[in-house]
Amino acid sequence: MTFSNTLNKTIIASAVLLSSLVAHAETTKITVNGMVCAFCAQGIETALTAMPETKAVYVDLAGKVVAVESKDGMKLNAVKIKQEIEDAGYDTVKFETITQTVAQFKATAKKGGK
Amino acid sequence: MAYFKQKQALALASLVLTSQAFAGPLGFKGSVMAMGDFSPNWQETFANYAFTPVDAVGIEGVRMRSDDKTITRQAGQITYTRRLARWNTPDSQANVFLLSGIGSVTGNNLSSSQTLFTPGIQADYETTRVYASTVLRAYRGYGAGSANIKHDYASVRAGFSFYHTDYEETQPWLIVEARRMKGLSQSTEITPMLRLINKRYFLEAGLSTEKQARFNFMYIF
Repeated sequence: MTFSNTLNKTIIASAVLLSSLVAHAETTKITVNGMVCAFCAQGIETALTAMPETKAVYVDLAGKVVAVESKDGMKLNAVKIKQEIEDAGYDTVKFETITQTVAQFKATAKKGGK
Repeated sequence: MAYFKQKQALALASLVLTSQAFAGPLGFKGSVMAMGDFSPNWQETFANYAFTPVDAVGIEGVRMRSDDKTITRQAGQITYTRRLARWNTPDSQANVFLLSGIGSVTGNNLSSSQTLFTPGIQADYETTRVYASTVLRAYRGYGAGSANIKHDYASVRAGFSFYHTDYEETQPWLIVEARRMKGLSQSTEITPMLRLINKRYFLEAGLSTEKQARFNFMYIF
């Protein structure tokens, strides 16, 4: 019994340790002012997609937000994202970290839930 | 003689001033924007490169003829465009652009080419459903053997989109343009156009009150 408890604790501890070693992808949701036209807003998508840490980008014109998902094991740089969006001509209003992937966020946005 | 001078000026005004008038005249930093404006009386192509978020340089070429088909023009110029101001709100954006160009123009009744200067300004306001813009552009042509060109041009565009679309969907708009060359044209030309926007593509097609079909496009690389 004692051995079993010890084994379980060891397994749990190992799992926690392993999970902490694996860096998960993150998604940042940015509220953007001035984003009213797809032809213009593609500058945001192009610039953010070109960042090496970016896995996916979604522009939501109706929601006035942009979602950026990082590649596994990489971190997004909020300062860099802000600069890229402002270079494209827009103003950033709010940065949030969300638990959804870009694909999940896109599916939610298309259903009308922001 | 006065008739020909007027025709020359009208032709030059048209070829110089129709460019860049139908949308934002520069893309995003590092982008190349190609544009075209085609009708029976003029065919124009234009491309510029945005080397900063607010500055672009480009080249433009035009073939033009007068309404009575007696006068033809070919022109080329180097352009510089700068976004002077930008205002963003949650539901709109507005811009002011400086337009400029320098080049030369030749024609079937010009004794020699003229040097062309084309300073101007463009302002626009846009929401997801409403669009409005205006262009004011002066032009000056200087050359030996023909009268120097000196006139102003103005155009106004306004329209609306039929419905909201997602970023990846094609959005249709109805745009009406009115343009006039002060002291040159006796009438204000009005052109209703259907505009389609899909990310990198921008297309417009319409028919003017002068029964001139028109097709515009833009594409960002």
